[in-house]
Amino acid sequence: MNVIYPLAVPKGRRLCCEVCEAPAERVCPACTVTYYCGVVHQRADWRSIHEKICQLLIPLRTTMPFYNSEEERQHGLQQLQQRQKHLIEFCYTVAQKYLFERKYAEAVPAALHSLRFRRSVYGLSSVELVPAYLLLSEASLGLGRIVQAEEYLSQAQWTVLKSTDCQNATHSLLHRNLGLLYMAKKNYEEARYHLANDIYFSSCAFGTEDIRTSGGYFHLANIFYGLQKLDLADTLYTKVSEIWHKYLNDHYQVLSQARVEQADLLHKRFVNDTGLDEAQEAEAIQILTSILNIRESTSDKAPEKTIFVLKTLVMLHYLMMNSSKAEEYAMQALNLAKKLQLSENEQNNIEELLSLISTEEDHPIT
Amino acid sequence: MAQSYSVTLEDSGLFQSFSGSKMTTLPPLPMTRPKLMDLARQKLPCSSGPIPSSQLIKEKEDIDHYVEVNFKGLSKEEVAAYRNSYMKNICVDMLRDGYHKSFTELFGLMKQWETLRVAARRRSIFWLQKPLEDQPDKLDYFYYHLTRAEAAERKGYFEEVYNNLYALACFFDNAEDKWVRNHFYERCFQIAQLIKIDGGRKEAEAHAHMGLFYEEEGQLLEAAEHYEAFHQLTQGRIWKDETDRFLNLWACESLLRTYRLLSDKMLENKEYKQAIKILIKASEIAKEGNNKKMEGEALYYLGLAHLAAEEQDTAMAVLNAYSKISTDLNDDLSLGRAYEAIAKVLQSQGQMTEAIQYLKKVVNLTKNNFQSLDVVKASTMLGDIYNEKGHYNKASEYFQQAFDTTIELMNLSLLDETKVHYGIAKAHRMMLTMNNYIETADLTSLNHLLSWKERRSDIDLDLVVGVSRGSATENMAQNSEHLEELTRSPDNQKKETE
Repeated sequence: MNVIYPLAVPKGRRLCCEVCEAPAERVCPACTVTYYCGVVHQRADWRSIHEKICQLLIPLRTTMPFYNSEEERQHGLQQLQQRQKHLIEFCYTVAQKYLFERKYAEAVPAALHSLRFRRSVYGLSSVELVPAYLLLSEASLGLGRIVQAEEYLSQAQWTVLKSTDCQNATHSLLHRNLGLLYMAKKNYEEARYHLANDIYFSSCAFGTEDIRTSGGYFHLANIFYGLQKLDLADTLYTKVSEIWHKYLNDHYQVLSQARVEQADLLHKRFVNDTGLDEAQEAEAIQILTSILNIRESTSDKAPEKTIFVLKTLVMLHYLMMNSSKAEEYAMQALNLAKKLQLSENEQNNIEELLSLISTEEDHPIT
Repeated sequence: MAQSYSVTLEDSGLFQSFSGSKMTTLPPLPMTRPKLMDLARQKLPCSSGPIPSSQLIKEKEDIDHYVEVNFKGLSKEEVAAYRNSYMKNICVDMLRDGYHKSFTELFGLMKQWETLRVAARRRSIFWLQKPLEDQPDKLDYFYYHLTRAEAAERKGYFEEVYNNLYALACFFDNAEDKWVRNHFYERCFQIAQLIKIDGGRKEAEAHAHMGLFYEEEGQLLEAAEHYEAFHQLTQGRIWKDETDRFLNLWACESLLRTYRLLSDKMLENKEYKQAIKILIKASEIAKEGNNKKMEGEALYYLGLAHLAAEEQDTAMAVLNAYSKISTDLNDDLSLGRAYEAIAKVLQSQGQMTEAIQYLKKVVNLTKNNFQSLDVVKASTMLGDIYNEKGHYNKASEYFQQAFDTTIELMNLSLLDETKVHYGIAKAHRMMLTMNNYIETADLTSLNHLLSWKERRSDIDLDLVVGVSRGSATENMAQNSEHLEELTRSPDNQKKETE
C-alpha cells in the first residue's frame, strides 16, 4: 500500500523523494501525493512537518478541478495562491520553532518545504527566498555542517545583493545568520561585524527596543561572553532582559487591567495572550533561559539581576499558560528575594504573581 | 573613510592567526595603502625551511588576506565603507565594540531629528538643514564622546561621563542644533545627580544648564525650580566657573531674571498677589547675594508690581529704598528710574506737585546723562500732568522738548506719539481763545479766525472776551473738529520746516 514502483509510473513522470530528491519508492497513504525514497525519510518528514500539512498538500499537488467559467478559474487560481502562501508561512514558523528548541534535524524538512513553495510562488531569484535559505543555513549550523551552511548563506547573500528593494528586516536576518556562521567558525571579528549590522538594520526596521532586535543583542553578548569580556556581555544581557521585561510587562498590565474591569457579558475570563507567534515564544524561552543560566552562575555578585530575569520568565510562562513552570520560577524568585531580604515592594510583586498563578491553576479557563 | 577602520583592524584577531605564514610562494608586492602597512608589519616572514606548496594557501581566508594586503583591490570592509553611509559605519563600529548604549542614543537622536523635521513642515528652516547623518565631523564627535562616556559609565566614573556629555553639549551649542544640546543637558543632569564626590558642584552646574534650557523654552516655573536648586547648592561655596565668575553670583542673577519674567507674565494675567510674592522672594535673594545693584533692581520691580496692584504706600516705601541704594551707588540711571517710578505713584495718589518735582529732577538727571529715551518719557509725563491740571503752556513746552529729543532719536513710532501729544497741548492752548472768537463772532474775531485758517500759525492770546455758555454743545463739537485739525497742523508745520 505504501510502496510504489517507479517503473509503473507513466512515461516521463519522475517521482522524487520529498527530502532528498532521489527516485521515490514509497508514498504517503494519507494524502497519496507525497513521495519518499525510503522509510527513514518518510518517518523523519512525518515527525517534522508532514503530520501537520498532510491534507493541505492535496489540493496543491493534484490538477485543478474543471471550472465552468473564467471567473471560477481565476477564483480557483487565487485560492491556490492563498493556500500556497499559507503553507509557506506555516512551514516557516514551524521550522523556526524547531530551531529555537534546538531540534535541528526536524527543522530541515520543514524549511525545505518552505523553500520549495516560495520558489514556486515567487520564482527562483526573488528576495522572498532569502528567509528560507537562512533557516536552512541555521539548521545546518546546528547540525554541524558548516560548509553547507556557508553555501546557503552565500546564496542568500547573493540574492540580497542582486535585489533592489530588500527590506531592512531581511538584511538584519541575513546578517544575524552570517554572524552565527562566523561564530561557529570561531571568527569572532567577522561575527561581531555582522551582528552589529544586524542590530543596525533591525533598529531601522523595528526600533532599538524591539523584541526582534533583542536577538541580535543576545548573540553579540554571547560572543563577548565567549571572549571573556564579562562586563560587556553583562550590559548586553541586561539590555536584552529589559527589552523582554518591558514587552511582557505591558501585556501583563493590560491583562490585569482587563481583569479588574471585569469580564464581558458571558463572564468569560480573559485568555492569556503573549501577542507572539510560536516561533517568537520559543525564541523568548531560549534567550531568557540561557540568560538565567548565565546569571545563576554569577549570581552572588548581582542577585537582583537574577531575580529580574526570573520575574520575566514567570510572566512569559504565565502568559503562555504554562502554569507549572511559571509557579516554579516564581517560587525560585521568592526564595531568592527572601534570602537577600529585598525591599517589600519586590517581594509583594512576586507574591502577587504567585497568587495569580495559583488561582489560574485552580480555576482553569473554560 | 580609511582612518575610521585602522583602529578596528589593528586589534582584529584575524591576522594573528598567520604567524606561521604560508605565503612564500607568491612574490611580495609593494605596499600601496597606509592602513594596510600596519597589517603588513604584523605579518611575520616565514623562516622554517621550504614548505610543500600543497600546504600553502589552503583556505579561502588566506587568499582573502593576501589579496587584501597585496593587491590594489578593495577588501570586504572597504567595500562596506564605500557602499554604506557614514552613519551606518559609525553605528556598526559602535556596536562591534559593544557600545550599545551609544548606539541607542545616536539612533534615537536621528529618529528625533526626523520627527522634528516632519513636524516642522516644508518651509521652515529644518527642511533646508542637512540631516545630522550627512555631517561626518559631527558624527565623529558623537562617536568619540559617546563611546568614552559609555566606557566610563561601565567603570562607574560618573565624572568622566559627565565631562564627555558636557563636551557634546557645548559642541552643539549653535542655533540649529539647539535640540541636541538640550538633550545632552538633560543627560548631564541625570548623570550629575549620581555624582556625589565633588560635593555637588557638577549637580549645581547641571541645574544651571537645565534652568537655561527651560528659560529658553519659556517654561519659567521649571526654570525657576532649577535655578533655585542651583542657588541653594552654591550658597556659601566659592566655586568659580571657567570665566572666573562666581557660581553663586550667576545663580542669583539667573534666579532674579527668571522671577522677573514670571512676574511679568503674572502681571499680564493680573495675578498681583503671586507676582508680589515672587518679587519679594527675589529681593530677599538679591539681598543675600550682597550685590547692591541686583538688590536695587529687584526692589524696583517690586515697586512697579505694587503700583500695578494699587498698593501705593508699599510701593512708595520700596521705591524710596531703591532710590537710596542708587544714590549710594552713584548710579544716576537707576536714580532716574527710581524718581520716575515714584512720580508715577504720586500721580496715581493725586499728589501732583510732588510728582512734578520728582519728574523735573528726572529730566535733569537724564539730560545730563544723555539718556534721550528717558528724557522723552519724563517730559511726556510732565506734560501730561500739566495738561490735566490745565497749565497748557507748560504742557506744550515739555511736549516740545520731548518731540525735539525724539527727532534726534529718529524713532518713528515715538515720533508720532510725541507729535500727537504736542499737537494736543497746543490745541488746548489755543482752545480758550478760539472759543471766545467763535462765540463773539464779530468782525475782528472772524478776521482773526480766517487769517488763522489761512496761515495756521499761533494766534494772539490777548483777546479774552466774556465767555457765554450759550452754545456749549456746538462749541464742543467745533472744538473737537478743531482739535483734529490742529493735530494735523503741527504735522504740516513741521513738514514745512523739515
